[in-house]
Amino acid sequence: MSEWHRVASEADLSLEAPLGVRVGDVQIAVVKLEDGIYAINDVCTHEFALLSEGFCEEGKLECPLHQACFDVRTGKVLNEPAEVDVATYPVKVENGAVFVQVP
Amino acid sequence: MARTLIVGAGQAGRRCAEALRDLDPEAEILLLGEEAHPPYDRPPLSKAVLLGTDPGNGLFVRSPQFYAEKRITLRTGTCVEALDLAAKQVVTTVGERIGYDSLVLATGARARPLPVPGADDPRVHLLRTLEDAQALRAALVAKPRLAVIGGGLIGLEVAASARQLGCAVVVLEAADRLMARCVPPAISEMSAALHRGHGVELHLGCALRRITPRAEGLLLEAGDLEVEADLAVIGIGGIANIALAEAAGLAVQDGILTDGCGRTSQPDVYAAGEVARFPHPFFGRTVRLEAWQVAQNQPAAVARAICGEARPYDEIPWHWTDQFDWNLQVFGTPEPEMELVQRPAEGGRLTALSVDAAGRARGALVLNNGREATPLRRLIAAGKALDLALLRDPTVPLRQFL
Ligand SMILES: Cc1cc2nc3c(=O)[nH]c(=O)nc-3n(C[C@H](O)[C@H](O)[C@H](O)COP(=O)(O)OP(=O)(O)OC[C@H]3O[C@@H](n4cnc5c(N)ncnc54)[C@H](O)[C@@H]3O)c2cc1C
Ligand code: FES
Repeated sequence: MSEWHRVASEADLSLEAPLGVRVGDVQIAVVKLEDGIYAINDVCTHEFALLSEGFCEEGKLECPLHQACFDVRTGKVLNEPAEVDVATYPVKVENGAVFVQVP
Repeated sequence: MARTLIVGAGQAGRRCAEALRDLDPEAEILLLGEEAHPPYDRPPLSKAVLLGTDPGNGLFVRSPQFYAEKRITLRTGTCVEALDLAAKQVVTTVGERIGYDSLVLATGARARPLPVPGADDPRVHLLRTLEDAQALRAALVAKPRLAVIGGGLIGLEVAASARQLGCAVVVLEAADRLMARCVPPAISEMSAALHRGHGVELHLGCALRRITPRAEGLLLEAGDLEVEADLAVIGIGGIANIALAEAAGLAVQDGILTDGCGRTSQPDVYAAGEVARFPHPFFGRTVRLEAWQVAQNQPAAVARAICGEARPYDEIPWHWTDQFDWNLQVFGTPEPEMELVQRPAEGGRLTALSVDAAGRARGALVLNNGREATPLRRLIAAGKALDLALLRDPTVPLRQFL
């Protein structure tokens, strides 16, 4: 069952500064962009790296290891070496708290 | 319908085929490769494949169906023996002649053998192909005493992987420091400390003279040193596969000479990837680059040239290496004689910039600090003089210099 999990407070997030969080076994990168807060799976689909340790700009998050880029809004991989998209998770903000829905 | 024939189904051959398909839905694309496999990327060979961990999508980036979907005719196990430029044909080792309108040579490089006595012993390995990596992995799981000849990128990656598998590892390097061709001395020292800290025995300034097979194992003589090992790996760089091009009369010089778009000295013949030597604006001279990046992106320039658009390949050079818990990335040309400005970050992370006499960043390195990769690349590309006093202060963010 999908549940909402509180992962951060809104004040923890600054623009394009990804935050790595964990819900159970799932590692998630929470990213604030100009039009809202997004959550994608934090683990690069190429080898093993946490995307939240990468560089974020214009809605793109770059893997710190070999620089594959992912679209923060859609999870789509934008360039190699990664080939596979990352999962996205719904986000809601209530009373300054950020919640992510994880299946 | 124009046919492009690509010789060499490695990373560069694949990328050229893909890029060409994206530009021209009509083109007939034939990708011929000597190896038994569809194209694969080599970086995992010295890391995940040796460790026996899942290389994920890092090895075979594309599925076999991909080539069919993109109408790329992939012929593995096909080796080209000669080029007949006058007839616009290539000749395979079984005597088949295949015609082309455009020919791309993406023949890459092979591991450089070491011309010392005993190097032909079956316990002495080279590492270039998936088979090489699998054979080495099979030997390493028995935890042999391993001698690695060459303290460059591949040698050190092999050393790290073997150590993680529980082998006793000795590295013999002829130069007086590690990775001397690609990092400044301060980083070589950190790397030496990393390897020694993990129990690798390092010998610098130690050129291998002879390998003598013993009943049990190998005796390696290097400098005044005698090292006994069960297994040896030679990692002393690569040699560009230029024989085909040279025999056909193309201009070569440690690589196939091309312009910035991969065009060789002959019309309709191109070179892509690691085999190409081309003028690079960042260096201001011709270079042959041995890295994933050039195999990934230079072939797109070749595909464009085939389609009539001359837009040279000019990326700021980049390569990475993964050793133990290190991810080291190198950008531009961190020349040893330049000043190295070190910007340590929390958790042992490091960014370092090589600045020239005019205060411009010409090269940079990040150690477990990939977040700064893109800002660094931009700083190098901008090529403007930096305020070094500010740059030396790691609390001043890089974006302040952009
Ligand atoms: C073990 C290893 C680890 C590496 N790790 C890294 C890393 O971590 N980071 C990084 O940036 N770079 C790394 N590299 C470098 C990078 O992998 C190479 O630069 C890249 O593979 C070059 O690709 P290429 O397609 O130009 O050449 P290749 O990969 O050599 O492909 C050329 C292909 O052409 C085929 N061929 C040659 N001659 C013929 C012929 N006559 N007929 C038919 N086929 C032919 C060959 O069999 C081969 O399959 C590594 C390389 C190795 C070997
Ligand atoms: S692990 Fe992310 S690009 Fe390689």
